[in-house]
Amino acid sequence: MTRYILKRFLISLLTVWLLVSVVFVLVRLLPGDPFSSEKLTPAIRANLEAYYGFDQPLHMQYFRYIGNLLRGDLGFSLKYQNMPVSKIIADSFPYSADLGIRTILFASLVGISLGVIAGLNRGKPLEYLCIVIAVIGISLPDFITGSLLQYFFGLKLGWFPVALWRGFRYTVLPTLALSFYTIALLSRIMRTSMLDVTGQDYIRTARAKGLSTFRIVWRHQLRNAILPVVTVLGPITAAILTGTFVIESIYAIPGMGKFYVLGVQNLDYTVILGLTAFYGIFLIAANFVVDILYGIIDPRIALTGRRN
Amino acid sequence: MRKTLHNILAVIFLGLLAFLGLAISAPAAQREFTFSMAYEIPGLDPQKANSIPSAVVGTHILEGLVRVHDGKILPGMAERWEISEDGLVYTFHLRDALWNDGKPVTAHDFEYSFRRLLDPATAAEYAFAAYGIENGKAFNKGEITDPSLVGVKALDAKTFEIRLVEPMDYLLGYLQLMCFLPTRQDVVEHEKDAFATGAEHMVYNGPFVIKEWKHEQIMILEKNPRYWNSDAIKLDRAVIHQVHEQNTALNLFESGELDMVDIPSNLYEKYATEGKAKVSLTGADDWIKVNVRPDPKRPWLANKDFRKALAWAIDREEYLKISTKGLYIPNLRYVLPIVAGVEKHYAEEYPLEYYTAKADPEKARAHLKAAMDHLGIDDPAKISVTYLIQDQEECRLMAEALQDQIQRTLGISFNVQIVTRKQRFLQEGQADYELVYSGWGPDFDDPLTYIEIWGSDISHNNSGWGNKEFDDIVAASRKETDRGKRLALLFEAEKILLDEAPMIPLQLRRRAWMTQPGVSGIVRPFIGSDLDFVYATVEK
Repeated sequence: MTRYILKRFLISLLTVWLLVSVVFVLVRLLPGDPFSSEKLTPAIRANLEAYYGFDQPLHMQYFRYIGNLLRGDLGFSLKYQNMPVSKIIADSFPYSADLGIRTILFASLVGISLGVIAGLNRGKPLEYLCIVIAVIGISLPDFITGSLLQYFFGLKLGWFPVALWRGFRYTVLPTLALSFYTIALLSRIMRTSMLDVTGQDYIRTARAKGLSTFRIVWRHQLRNAILPVVTVLGPITAAILTGTFVIESIYAIPGMGKFYVLGVQNLDYTVILGLTAFYGIFLIAANFVVDILYGIIDPRIALTGRRN
Repeated sequence: MRKTLHNILAVIFLGLLAFLGLAISAPAAQREFTFSMAYEIPGLDPQKANSIPSAVVGTHILEGLVRVHDGKILPGMAERWEISEDGLVYTFHLRDALWNDGKPVTAHDFEYSFRRLLDPATAAEYAFAAYGIENGKAFNKGEITDPSLVGVKALDAKTFEIRLVEPMDYLLGYLQLMCFLPTRQDVVEHEKDAFATGAEHMVYNGPFVIKEWKHEQIMILEKNPRYWNSDAIKLDRAVIHQVHEQNTALNLFESGELDMVDIPSNLYEKYATEGKAKVSLTGADDWIKVNVRPDPKRPWLANKDFRKALAWAIDREEYLKISTKGLYIPNLRYVLPIVAGVEKHYAEEYPLEYYTAKADPEKARAHLKAAMDHLGIDDPAKISVTYLIQDQEECRLMAEALQDQIQRTLGISFNVQIVTRKQRFLQEGQADYELVYSGWGPDFDDPLTYIEIWGSDISHNNSGWGNKEFDDIVAASRKETDRGKRLALLFEAEKILLDEAPMIPLQLRRRAWMTQPGVSGIVRPFIGSDLDFVYATVEK
C-alpha cells in the first residue's frame, strides 16, 4: 500500500509538471499579451515587461517559474496588482468548495436515488418520470436553470435571496442550480448500472435464497451498481469544487470559477498557470480517493496487485 | 444574605435593561449607499491604477491637489494655487489636512507620488499622463536617472510646484486622474508588495476610508472623520458588491439590495419608457480606423473617396437602434461634444455636423464612383474589405448591421473578422488590419485628448496616416497660451482629420442607470472615474 501510494505520488508530480509546462507554452502561444490595452505606449510597455521579468528569454522565465513553483510560490497576478496567485486561490477556493460540497452531497443523494428508483421500476411510469427529469437536467444549460431559479424563487416569490453569499439561505438556489446536471448524469448512470446488475446470476441466487427485496437491493445490487457512479464522481467533484464560472457569476459568489475565464480573457499568465496547477493537483487527488474507494466498495479490486 | 442576592440580581437586571436600551437606541440612522461593480478592483495603488473600478474607489478614499465634482474644479489638498504668466509653472498651497493615521499631508507626499508615477521601476501604465511635466518623459524612458531633475518640487512642507514643458491650461482638471493622487513614502516602503492590497495596507486622505475589503466579494467604505471637509460628506457608509452578471445586479436592485444599478442596453428602452432610466455620455468615442498604407492588393484603402463612401453609407441611427436600442448615439464629428470649451462645451462654441445620423446613399455612391474612376475599377464587386472586431456581443451586432448597410448601398464585399480582445490590440498595434473597430476615452477635459492621438509620431496612430498640416497645427496649439485661440487651432485639426478620413466616426457611448427613491447627488463623470458619490445622500 505504501509503495502504491508512493508510486502514485511520483506519477502525480510528473503529471503536474507536464501539465504546467504544456500550459506555460500554450498560453504564450495565444495571440496578444497581458499588457496590451487601448492606451499603452511602447516605452511604458518596456517598463512593464521589465517589471514582470518578461524581458528575459522564455526558457529563463520558465526555469524561474518552475523554481518558484517548487517553493510553492505561484507568482503575482498580472492583472490584479500586488496580488499573489496563491492568495487568489486561498481567498476564493473556500467559497467554491463550500458550494461544491453542498452540491455533490445533494446531487449524489438525489441522483443515485432517482437512478435506483428508475432501475427498480423498469417500464413503469416511475421510470419514465426519472428519465424525463434526467433529460431535462442534461439538456438545460446551467445559465438557464440558474437564471430561472433566481427569477422565480428569488425575485418573484421572494423565498430565497436573489444573489450574494451571506448564509445558508443564500446557498439554496445556487446549490439547486448547480446540482441539476449532476443529478441527471448520476441518475442515468445509476439506472443503467442497476439494470445491468439486476440480470446477474448472483441476484437470482439471492432471490432464490429467499432474501428480502430490501436486503437484495441494499447489499447486493446497490453495492455492485454504484461503482461506475464512483468513477465519474471523482472528476465531477474536482470540477465542481474548484468553481464554476456561470453559477458563481449569476449568484455573485466570490468563488474561483470566474478566474479561469477572466484569466484567459486578460491573458493573465500567472493566474492561468496557478489555477491549472491547482486544478490538476485537485483532480489527481480526487481520482486517488476514487481508487481507494473502489477497494472499499469492492474488495475484489486490490490496489497493490495480486497477493500471493 | 438572600436580600443581598436579590439586590445584586436586581442591579444586574437593571444593568442588562439599560444595556439593551442603549443597544437598541445606539445605531442612529445610517446613511448607506450600496451599489455593485462588474469587476474586482484590480488595485488601489494610485500610481499604478489603470482601470475605472480603481478610479471610482480611489477618488473617494484619496484626494489630489484639486477635486473635480460635476465638471467643476474645486480646491482639494491645495486650498489655492498660482499659475505663472507663461502658463508653465503651477504653485500649489496646501491646506492643513491629515492622513487618516493623523500625520499631516505635505508637499513632499505629492513630490514623492509624482516622481513615483514617472519612475520606470514603478512601471506605471499611466506614466504618460505626466509626460507634460519637465523631464517627465525622459525620466520615465530611462534617458535621465536623477528624479530631482523632474519638474515637481516641494518648496516647503506646504508648497508644491509643477513645472511644465508647454502650457497646459487644462492641467488642473487633469490632476483628478487617479495616477496624480498622493500616497506616502513611509507607507509604500513599509508595505512593499502588500501596499494597497487591503484596507490596512494603505493610508487615506479622502472623504472615505476602506473599512473592509474582501476581494471579489465586498468592499465597505466609511466616512473619514479626519477628512478636512468631512462636514460636507453626508453618507456614513458605501457598500460595493462584486456582481459580475448584469442581470443579477438588476435583480438585486429590483429586490432592494442595491441603491443604484446600470441598465444593460437591451433593457434600456423598457426602463426609459417607464421613466426610470437616467443617461449620460461615458466619454468613449468609437470609430472605424482605416489602415491607409498603400497596398497593391487593396489600393482602395489609401483612397480618401473610398473611405468617405464607407462613411456616408453608414446609417448610424439605424445600426445603433438595432445593436444598442438607441442607448449609444451617432457621432457626427470626431471630438466628444461635451469636453470643455472656453466658457461652454466645446461643441457649443465650435459646432460641426460633418456627417449625418442617417446614411446618404447618393453621396456614398458618388464617392465610390470617384474612387473607382481613380483606381480604374469598373465593378464594385471587385472591392472587398475586412473589418476587425473583438468577440463581444455588442461589437458583433454593430458589425453585422454595418456589413448589411455598406454591402447594400455600395455593392462591395464587407467581411467581418472576429478575434479576442487581446488579439485585436495585438493586430491593431502591429497595423495588421484593413479596418478596425477602435475608440478612445478622454484623459482630460479638452479636445486635445482626442486630437493628439492622430499625430504622425504617436504610437496610437497606427493607421499609417500622417499629415504635416495637422501636426503643425497641433504643435502650434501646444505653444498657445490663449485658450480660445488654442481651441480654434484644435478645431482646424479636427476638420482636417474628418476631411482626410483615416477614421470614420461611429458613435458616442452613453450609460443608462437608475437609483432607488431617496438617493440623490450621484454624478457620473466621463473622465477617469465613472461614479462620484462624494456628496451623495440617501434618505430612506
